[in-house]
Amino acid sequence: MNEPAKGCEFVAEPPADLASPEFASLYAENSRAIYYLALRFLGDPQKAEDATHDVFLKAFRKLDQFRGEASLRTWLYRIAINHCQNLCRSWQDRHVFSNVDDAVWENAAAKTDSPLRVLETKELGQRIQKALDGLSDEYRLLLLLVADAELSYEHVGALVGQSPDAVRGKLHRARKAFAILFEKTA
Amino acid sequence: MKQQTKLSEEQLQQSRQVGTEHQATQPAAREFANAEELLRYDAAHTPVPPAIAQRLQKSTGELPQPKLAWWKRWLGGTNP
Repeated sequence: MNEPAKGCEFVAEPPADLASPEFASLYAENSRAIYYLALRFLGDPQKAEDATHDVFLKAFRKLDQFRGEASLRTWLYRIAINHCQNLCRSWQDRHVFSNVDDAVWENAAAKTDSPLRVLETKELGQRIQKALDGLSDEYRLLLLLVADAELSYEHVGALVGQSPDAVRGKLHRARKAFAILFEKTA
Repeated sequence: MKQQTKLSEEQLQQSRQVGTEHQATQPAAREFANAEELLRYDAAHTPVPPAIAQRLQKSTGELPQPKLAWWKRWLGGTNP
């Protein structure tokens, strides 16, 4: 699987001369989060690049419809999630394990409290992608959203249509499933 | 015999040095408390392709400037 080039602690590129300073700053502050979600959700750097472009273009067109009820980051995530989910629906050949029942993870032996140990970071992206690909769309999305330190459980819940308590419960199972799959990629 | 001993001491020192260098190049194991922490690390080390901003520059340049959100207009903002 192709992996985007890794940089040492990425320093954001100064945004290109985008249409307006407001939009340039929106892009500078959120492009990494949106690109990363698209990359790990879709599992393909080229598709993630196209999706990120399309998400920001959609945001540019709809900027006047942004009501300010949520943060701009949450609003962008909503556009990105809809976009990525629509893409996934049209590729029915993906997600071999997406229908794995929760019980499979519940019964599997995994120490969820044990830290994830990584010896070699060179292939880390590929290992993470493999593990995420084995999860259901719901778990994969949940982990990717919770990984964004700017989003609270309330924000994540609003994005996935669940209560914060349901997010906490599912997150526990998603972590366990990820740990099992990640271990297998070593 | 003495020379042999000296040689083996040199060899020993060399092998110690090699051993130290080998240890120095061994990657240290990283530990992540959970999946989110690992993903956060991965995200921080995943650069955004500059081509996206270039494409956006072209795409948005062909569109009219966005209007300000109604709530910003209401607060008295102006279009940039």
